[in-house]
Amino acid sequence: MKTKAILVDITQCVGCRSCEQACKEAHGLPPENEPVLSATALTVVEQRGDKFVRRMCMHCQDPACASACPVGALKKTAAGPVTYDAGKCMGCRYCMLACPFQVPRYEWTKLAPYVKKCDMCAGRLANGGLPACVQACPTGASLFGDRDDLLAEAEKRILENPAYVRHIYGSEEVGGTSVFFLSDVPFEKLGFVAAPINRSLPTLTANALADVPTVVLLGSSLLFGLYWITDRRKQVALDEAKEKFSPSHTDEKRS
Amino acid sequence: MPNLRFPKITLWRVLVTLIFATGLYATYARFLQGFAASTNLSDAVPWGLWVGLGTLCGVGLSAGGFAVAAAAYILGFERYRPVVRAAVLISFLGYLTVVVGMLYELGLPWRVWHPIFMWNRHSVLFEVAWCVMLYTTVLTLEFSPALLEKLPWKRAREWYLRWHHAILIELVLIGVVLSSLHQSFLGGLYLITEGKLYPLWYSPYIPSLFYLSAIPAGLAVTIMALYLSARSLNARFDISILGEISRLMAPLLAVYALFRGVDLVTLGVLPYMFRWRSETGLFWLEIALFVLVPLALLSSEQVRNNPQWLYWTCALVVMGFIANRLNVSVTGLQASAGVHYVPKWTEMASTIAILAAAVLAFRYAVLYLNIFPQPKERWMMKAATD
Repeated sequence: MKTKAILVDITQCVGCRSCEQACKEAHGLPPENEPVLSATALTVVEQRGDKFVRRMCMHCQDPACASACPVGALKKTAAGPVTYDAGKCMGCRYCMLACPFQVPRYEWTKLAPYVKKCDMCAGRLANGGLPACVQACPTGASLFGDRDDLLAEAEKRILENPAYVRHIYGSEEVGGTSVFFLSDVPFEKLGFVAAPINRSLPTLTANALADVPTVVLLGSSLLFGLYWITDRRKQVALDEAKEKFSPSHTDEKRS
Repeated sequence: MPNLRFPKITLWRVLVTLIFATGLYATYARFLQGFAASTNLSDAVPWGLWVGLGTLCGVGLSAGGFAVAAAAYILGFERYRPVVRAAVLISFLGYLTVVVGMLYELGLPWRVWHPIFMWNRHSVLFEVAWCVMLYTTVLTLEFSPALLEKLPWKRAREWYLRWHHAILIELVLIGVVLSSLHQSFLGGLYLITEGKLYPLWYSPYIPSLFYLSAIPAGLAVTIMALYLSARSLNARFDISILGEISRLMAPLLAVYALFRGVDLVTLGVLPYMFRWRSETGLFWLEIALFVLVPLALLSSEQVRNNPQWLYWTCALVVMGFIANRLNVSVTGLQASAGVHYVPKWTEMASTIAILAAAVLAFRYAVLYLNIFPQPKERWMMKAATD
């Protein structure tokens, strides 16, 4: 199966919030509209000037959250969605610290809190369905399809209409995502993270982790060498002392 | 009872009772009411005081055990031997506070064992979890003779002590490697926050910075605890060992300062050091407390040879270290989070109560176990007075 993605064309969003409602219904969340992402609102439409910007998990190609999660509860699936296995999560919230888009939310008020974020309706996709938000969109502002096709479509729109900002948000950010945005207003003005790193964040830690075997091997050899020298010196000192004095003070010697 | 000698003990008892009463309430709030009632954490600030103080400082300030053990057993600093057990005890208790604190910090603490079976080798936190688990085991083993030598059964006791003696060097060695790994990986946790962590603290070399700062800070805690043991708990050891340890601490602080300075210059963030922002002030506070003032003080022979001066110098180092870790974990992330986080009093109270429990445990261990050389053991006294 080809990896899927969502394309949000901000120029076509009318702010009807059908996507929010559909999402809440699909995930069994309380139906009240909320102003920002929360543990009970996995996608929201924010108004910026006269524009409407939908927020949701960006489903990064190489997600920082998935690399950060110590128990592997978060996973990038081949189909595109970044999914969350609540059964593994132990609530460390490192994913929230790691996410460059500040997307994951936490159920702060619960006694057994879990992480909440958009899962691109992975369950519906597996059954050949569409993400609930895309299906509900009446204007076609949210599209769903193969990632490559959507990128091509976005490029086509930018080329055909000079009104668009000449950038597909999500094509390069943090090494690429599976949610793209097109806009006719600069992205910084719409509350998008101004300059996210244009390479995958997990590589930052991968390099450090790759050093582990070397550090362990070199470190322990070095330490053992030092210990050997120390021990040898002590032996020599002891032997010398033994020659000089009576051999009664040698009980400290290690076998 | 030595308690009776101090008239101020009643004041201390009131304080201790107060600490545990508030800690108990904070524990109730955390586990029976939840995060929202017991913390000021939010989606923008998922990690607060419990991680910054409880985990980052708890682990970092417990680095003395591995440093002193390595110095005594691997580098052959024989003069350190009389205080190795105390240093290991401090680290052991320190790691216990971290483990207990972790139960407050985790949203689902009953799943704290998950990393043992559910692996993600790409996660720095996974590596930290394993190292902390293993190293706490190593510390337990390193410290175990102090408890087991009190066993009434002679044969079991002697068998255990012989076995312990046979594996001691290996234990110390493994301890040094594990400590080196997770002390640096605690910094490595923040590698992934590029773009979020304020430039004065984000560095691709943050693992090395965490490692280099933890050793002098751990030694400072060790000196402080030794000083207090000698002053208030009648521990008998040659007090000049404090000056000896500080002689090791000063060059370590200097190396850290140099590394930090070169790092700031090569990253090109010098202009940030003089911007009119709250981060700048906290940065300089950290640098002054951890590096500048202690180095100036430690360069004086008078300070190094005066245990009380040394104690306060070490207190500065510890405060500077705490400032650094809180800057990385809290201050440095405020701007990108867009939320001002001030810990709720219950976050503070639970952390202080856990710490107080460790201090009390240390006190009772020194009073009732043979943590310091006993007058009867002549070979140890000899080592102490050489």
